[in-house]
Amino acid sequence: MSEQTETTSSTAAQRPEVNTESSGGQFEGKTVLESRDLDVYYGETQALQDVSLQIPEKQVTAMIGPSGCGKSTFLRCLNRMNDLVDTAHIEGDVFFNGKNIYADDVESVALRRRIGMVFQHPNPFPKTIYDNVAYGLRVQNNEVTDDIIEDSLRRAALWDEVKDQLDTSALDLSGGQQQRLCIARAIAVDPDVILMDEPASALDPIATSKIEDLIEELAEEYTVVIVTHNMQQAARISDKTAVFLTGGELVEFDDTNKIFENPENQRVEDYITGKFG
Amino acid sequence: MAAETDPTFDGGSELRRRKLLGQVFEGVLVASTLVGVLALVALFVLIGNDALGPAEADASWFLLYFVTLVAPTSVYTLLVRRDEVASSINGLSFATVFGSLIGSAVVYVVVDSVRPHDVAIYLVVGSLFPALVLAYNRITGGSHYTGPALPVSILFGLVSARILYPFIIPVISIVADWILFVVVVTGPVAAGLGLFVTSRWSRRYGAVTAVAVLGATLATAGVAITQGIDPALSVVLVSVVAGPVAVVSLDTFKRRETGRYGLLGPWLLIGGIVAGAWLERQLGIEGLETWLTPTLLLNSWSSFRPEQAGIYPQLVGSVLVVGTMAVLSFPVGVGAAIYLEEYAPSTGWRGRLATALDVNISNLAGVPSVVYGLLGLALFQNFFGVAPWLPRALGLKPSLVIAAAATLGLLILPIVIVSSQEALRSVPDELRQGSYGLGASRWQTIRNVVLPEAVPGILTGMILALGRAIGETAPLVIIGVATTTYSAPEGVFGSAAALPLQIFASAANSIPEYRTGVVAAASVILLATMLIMNSTAILIRNRYENN
Amino acid sequence: MSDREMTTLQRDGVAVTKERLYRLLLAGCAALTLAVTSGIIIALLGGTVSFFSEVSIVAYLTGTEWSPVINGKFGVLPLLSGTLVITVVSAVVALPIGLSIAVYLSEYATPKVRSVLKPALEILAAIPTVVYGYFALVYVTPFLDDVLPLDFGTFNALSAGVAVGLVIIPMVSSISEDAISSVPDSLRNAAYGLGSTKFDVSTKVVVPAATSGIVSSYVLALSRAIGETMIVVIAAGLSPKMPFFPDVLKNLTNSVQTITSGIVQVAGAENASGVLLNAMFALGMTLFVLTLTMNILAEAVRRRYREEYS
Ligand SMILES: Nc1ncnc2c1ncn2[C@@H]1O[C@H](COP(=O)(O)OP(=O)(O)O)[C@@H](O)[C@H]1O
Ligand SMILES: [Mg+2]
Repeated sequence: MSEQTETTSSTAAQRPEVNTESSGGQFEGKTVLESRDLDVYYGETQALQDVSLQIPEKQVTAMIGPSGCGKSTFLRCLNRMNDLVDTAHIEGDVFFNGKNIYADDVESVALRRRIGMVFQHPNPFPKTIYDNVAYGLRVQNNEVTDDIIEDSLRRAALWDEVKDQLDTSALDLSGGQQQRLCIARAIAVDPDVILMDEPASALDPIATSKIEDLIEELAEEYTVVIVTHNMQQAARISDKTAVFLTGGELVEFDDTNKIFENPENQRVEDYITGKFG
Repeated sequence: MAAETDPTFDGGSELRRRKLLGQVFEGVLVASTLVGVLALVALFVLIGNDALGPAEADASWFLLYFVTLVAPTSVYTLLVRRDEVASSINGLSFATVFGSLIGSAVVYVVVDSVRPHDVAIYLVVGSLFPALVLAYNRITGGSHYTGPALPVSILFGLVSARILYPFIIPVISIVADWILFVVVVTGPVAAGLGLFVTSRWSRRYGAVTAVAVLGATLATAGVAITQGIDPALSVVLVSVVAGPVAVVSLDTFKRRETGRYGLLGPWLLIGGIVAGAWLERQLGIEGLETWLTPTLLLNSWSSFRPEQAGIYPQLVGSVLVVGTMAVLSFPVGVGAAIYLEEYAPSTGWRGRLATALDVNISNLAGVPSVVYGLLGLALFQNFFGVAPWLPRALGLKPSLVIAAAATLGLLILPIVIVSSQEALRSVPDELRQGSYGLGASRWQTIRNVVLPEAVPGILTGMILALGRAIGETAPLVIIGVATTTYSAPEGVFGSAAALPLQIFASAANSIPEYRTGVVAAASVILLATMLIMNSTAILIRNRYENN
Repeated sequence: MSDREMTTLQRDGVAVTKERLYRLLLAGCAALTLAVTSGIIIALLGGTVSFFSEVSIVAYLTGTEWSPVINGKFGVLPLLSGTLVITVVSAVVALPIGLSIAVYLSEYATPKVRSVLKPALEILAAIPTVVYGYFALVYVTPFLDDVLPLDFGTFNALSAGVAVGLVIIPMVSSISEDAISSVPDSLRNAAYGLGSTKFDVSTKVVVPAATSGIVSSYVLALSRAIGETMIVVIAAGLSPKMPFFPDVLKNLTNSVQTITSGIVQVAGAENASGVLLNAMFALGMTLFVLTLTMNILAEAVRRRYREEYS
């Protein structure tokens, strides 16, 4: 793309420090996504309160919390999927590589090309497996090659199962395969960040463990943000964990080990030990 | 039970009384339902009886067709029904054979009445620019401009065809009609089939298919010429019927391992009718005294000699009017539905506007059809009295095909919009989310994910709207389309004609053969068209609802 | 990776403009429906205003003679009377039958029966009205003449009204059925729990609970009957009449003219122009106002029942 637009964009938005070592110094690595004082309302009701959070690069960051506490809402703010909800209203800022994604000159469509998303229910398009993986490339006007398709399916640990049936409908796959296809579809466009909203909650235990393995592998190349209501899952696969509690409040955010072994907040401890939630 | 221990009344007889009452009630409900159904049956039987005249036929006639037609198809149907694969192949086969037969009739009749030269000029010159755009798209791998450029280039092509028309017409007039049919019918069909085969098999097979269709068509035309028959009809039949039927049959045959006998369905039906007709003549059996004859279908109208009366002009008129209407109205209707379902927000002033539009559309659906006639009249007669010169300057009059089509188009607009909205609404939101999540824009999401999913529903609505438009009479009477017509419209700017108008004009004809013969037969054609459309729509709906 | 970080989060301008263009085009399609409504109102209003500049509105609304072509008499009452007769006949046919079908389909019929009956009813509504008109004229009238001890004219209100009734049955039955099946099952179960029979539940619980939906379907169907044209033109003839009273049956056996067939007759008159042409639009306006009012009323009633259970 042209250099001209690039310069205008970098001056148009304020740039916070990238590469922040967080206050406690517990964050190694670079911050890719950062929310500052994020409030989200659906109509009159507030779904997120004042959420500030830094998501480190190439790690798995988990969001846990009871149902309805705003985890999905937060996730959807990170790639502006909430723009599609008419009633949603957002205050505060989200920075992606230092650029405010809610700035006027940011196009949500362009943003989503860098921040992909995998949903709770596998939602492959009613097209062939090949066309599903190629979809993102096509809408982004990128070249589709068989190599990219194969590579994406391999990285989603699906290639061996589907390599002989790329021309059949994606709907013929099992639920777990469909979800891995959705992951392949998301990584085919080579995003920086992959957002996953309870990606395994609709799957059986075996399919779930496959997805979990996959997520850990993906974190070697991508920044992964995953919402889950399954605490064991968060403990198993994530490096960082954010705990939201009812009312859309971010109560604690720290290394996963710390959260599960020695949380600072009493309510988090209660939640994690199952006293409420 | 409880009633027996109840001391205050005799539960036994009370219970029996209530039971009886319940049965009577149910009986009344069933009877009322039957009244509705019987009225329907009576309408079909009485009109069908007058049109077909089965009472005159000999008992042996019924026996003959039982043997050649009813028995084989019934046995076959029972067989096919047990096998899901065969049954779906059978459905496809029926759709292909009869769809292409109807299609060929429509194509022939329209091209013939609009004149093959005109169609050729507009088609060839008109598709030049879009073809260039597509070729550019192919070579460069597409750009943002191709989408919008396509409709613009089509428009541009049509306008240039209009401008070049006087220069081309003297040249093209030398060319025989049947060659023009080859250009405008065989060309596109061969190309389409070639592409279809290429996508399913290989480029090589695709090329072979295209050449085969062209070759077969030319060969048949050659034979027809040596026999002294006008080759135009055979050109259309070979290209539009034989081509697609052969391709679909071969494709199915090669792809499917089981249930291939499902392909036979339509041929059993056609074979049964042909064999019956042949034997009927050979054996000299007294057949139906039917008014539904080739004369009726192919002749022009006659108001005095019922045996001579035909509805060819009216059929052509109906096809042209309704076809033009579809072109004018469907894109707008689907577009409006897309805006209301996919773009319009639910909040703010735009949201309120969308709600107002929805209410407006449902009110439009309830406006009587005569009122649309008055709208069409005001529009095309003198443009609401505001600019009486405008319709004249555009060469428009209310009684032209294009005006009739536009009037009917406005009438069915609410139907198309509402059914398309329903179809769009039934597309799961998860698919949209998935598409947006991959960085697709709104239009890309609609184009690639939403519309393909909604097509069956939209199509169903369109077919029902076509069915409604085909029978629509009152608005056409109001805008002054001639109710009795002796010649087919000569294209979109010719004088309109329509089958229901002729039924209207002749329903009270004082010659009884019209009332209980010709008009009955014309009504049967109208009813059959409506039935075919409705059942197609229902089939599409059921098929995709189950998936 | 590092050079990708520098890429912008903007899309190229052409793509954005294209998106805007498509949105605008589609919004234009939607806006066209407003233009249609405005077009109808302007067309009708224009003709009506001209008409009333030549014919007094009182003469139109109170005149008992409609003879526009021959005598230049523009009294609308005979046409209203004809419309009323047709509508009443069709209501007598369609309202009870339609409701019965609705109750039967939603409370009694097995899924299999439903799957046959519903398409059959759709067909009843899909048959072109010109065919119904022909059917009424050629088949229904002689039949009525045979079975009823009345003397029917070739064109008469009864057979046309019956045919109109057939057309609107599916409208009554489908909308009523929607209303009836949206009555929550808990209500039915409560009634059964109190020992009611199916008959009791249907007539005393379900139908009353669905009343507003049923009424709404009635109003819509009657509005449709008022606007029905071809059946009336073909089977009821074109002679405007004031109602017969007290000899009420004569209203059924005689030819009548409705608002719609009045419009058609003027349209068919040789070179209709001037006041004659405008009369057509005045009648159209009358019809439009009448049916629109009924449709809005039906919608208002329906809104109420939607709120009751949801
Ligand atoms: N589209 C929406 N419209 C209105 N309210 C919503 C919408 N989506 C979510 N909410 C509300 O916002 C709150 C947070 O929802 P969500 O983010 O989905 O929670 P979680 O994913 O943690 O279960 C809930 O109270 C929910 O009802
Ligand atoms: Mg959630």
